[in-house]
Amino acid sequence: MHRMPLAQSKWLVGSFENAPCFEVSVMPNDMEELYNQRLTRYVTAMRNEKPDCIPIRPFVAEFTSKYAGYTCQQVTHDYEMAFAAARKCAADFDWDAVVGNMVYVWTGLTQSIGLKYYGVPGFDFPEDMGFNFIEPPDDEAFMRADEYDQLIEDPTGFLFNVWLPRVSNDVVAMGEPTSFRNNLSFLKGGMGMLSYFGGFGTQAQLLRSESGTVSAIAGILKAPLDILGDKLRGYLGVCDDLMKQPDKVLAACEALAPHLAHVALSGADPDKNVPVSIWMHRGCVPFISHDHFNKIYWPTLKPIIEEIWARGHQTLFYAEGNWNPHLDAFAELPDGSIIYHVDQADIFEVHEKIGHKFCLSGGVSNYLLAFGTPDEIRARCKEIIDGVAGDGGYIMDASAIVQNDAKIENMKAMTDFTREYGVY
Amino acid sequence: MATLESLQEAVETGNRDDAVQLTQQAIDDELPARDILDAMVSAMDDIGGRFQRGEAFVPEMLLAARAMKEAMALLEPILVAAGITPEAKAIIGTVQGDLHDIGKNLVAMMWKGANFEVIDLGTNVTPDKFVDAVKENDATLVGLSALLTTTMPAMQSTVEALRAANVDQMRVIVGGAPVTQEYADQIGADAYAPDAASAVEVARRFI
Repeated sequence: MHRMPLAQSKWLVGSFENAPCFEVSVMPNDMEELYNQRLTRYVTAMRNEKPDCIPIRPFVAEFTSKYAGYTCQQVTHDYEMAFAAARKCAADFDWDAVVGNMVYVWTGLTQSIGLKYYGVPGFDFPEDMGFNFIEPPDDEAFMRADEYDQLIEDPTGFLFNVWLPRVSNDVVAMGEPTSFRNNLSFLKGGMGMLSYFGGFGTQAQLLRSESGTVSAIAGILKAPLDILGDKLRGYLGVCDDLMKQPDKVLAACEALAPHLAHVALSGADPDKNVPVSIWMHRGCVPFISHDHFNKIYWPTLKPIIEEIWARGHQTLFYAEGNWNPHLDAFAELPDGSIIYHVDQADIFEVHEKIGHKFCLSGGVSNYLLAFGTPDEIRARCKEIIDGVAGDGGYIMDASAIVQNDAKIENMKAMTDFTREYGVY
Repeated sequence: MATLESLQEAVETGNRDDAVQLTQQAIDDELPARDILDAMVSAMDDIGGRFQRGEAFVPEMLLAARAMKEAMALLEPILVAAGITPEAKAIIGTVQGDLHDIGKNLVAMMWKGANFEVIDLGTNVTPDKFVDAVKENDATLVGLSALLTTTMPAMQSTVEALRAANVDQMRVIVGGAPVTQEYADQIGADAYAPDAASAVEVARRFI
């Protein structure tokens, strides 16, 4: 799934409070106790140790809207609805941790700056389909093949001066006559950013006080090559560049790396409990070759992970697709520095190769959650728990983010079975 | 023959300039149009085979397809004059609700590389639009793509609409990250293709 969540930053709590109704309430003791129990369980597993039982941390996205009775359009356009839907799920399911809003795009913000690259439910397709990322045709990529030197020379300058006017219908390029819409887009966009990101701090507090649920991640990272592919050159453009100008691609990734590390650390959990998340897209087979992985993708990502670890934070690898051909590379990282989330790969092979070093999560197929039965879900959960969770270091989750096609009874089966069977 | 061997190599290695120049040379030398075409198709088959064996990856395949596309621009008028027609006519698109089109684009490229005429309906295509396109173009192959489990039901409704339209000789091939052979069977598709290179092999079974 081509989805990239926004950072949720605990340090934003109190800095950008936007919800007038929010006050740091005095939590009932039992709720605080439950929160601490879950936090300990979640963190213990992430350190690849054995907690009291297997923690459950489903990355529930539009599943929350289905459960709460909203459409995808509603939770995408109104982040308070999205937050409320996540809290309703957190209150009703015995989950240790969730993301404050895994339907991470708030189209109020994207529309305030006229952003072109999201397909919006209710506008671009039916109201109950989740939003989509739209990749422009390769000849209309947001960065051209001959612009590498500009990006390498000044990444932030390039993003602001060249990239932003191209991805926005409203932002006017530097040197062009300004417009009312241009000016307003910065005002509205800034206000939108403050409101939405501030809302995540509030949401984390409410999850804690209302249901004793841990906010699962803090801070966001993407691999330099994924930034190039997803947001600048497009995947097909990057393919072309890897073949024709690999040195420029490498230099661009090297130039982006410190900025991406900075963004990740800026949003990281000051308590150093929950991990920074990385959403990995195009580095795996067959999207790029082993050679390109070994020479470009990994050498420009690995130092960022090591830097984050040196600052005391783990990184959650959301390994979208199948990255098993690269497990030996990941095994080079320090023990416990990452949590490895398994999507379509063979989780038993992952466990065999890197389970002794890192905590794993995931493995329950989204196809099964959408089209299977509770019995099939229970059987799959048992298979995973028996195969990879024996010594701790495993977190129950679906393979990918859970959208509104997952059956509620299947999510209940995954939760209840894990609670019952997953006790150490 | 040396020209055609070089052309095949140029396409397979994605060398656009050489592919175009060698195609022009083959045309100037009045080599049979069929042989020139076969050299290009063989190159695409080779790279497709290497892709399936894990020896080549999408970037290599993409470059080869682009080299062939440019060379084909020169060859097409010659093929038409020689009465050589595409192997098949195919409709392709991502199903309703899905705007992710990289996989679909790769299949379209590989189908073109196999000398199929490909009518690409783009993304977020309704079942009716697929049906209309099949009828209008008298297509024999339909490729449906979905990246999300949430849009797989749209794949099913598209297959149902195509079946209801009762078009003779039409075969539906489905693919996309979450799609499986089991799901293809369940919704009554004719075949499932796990990747872009396999999509060529699967389609050829129906020609």
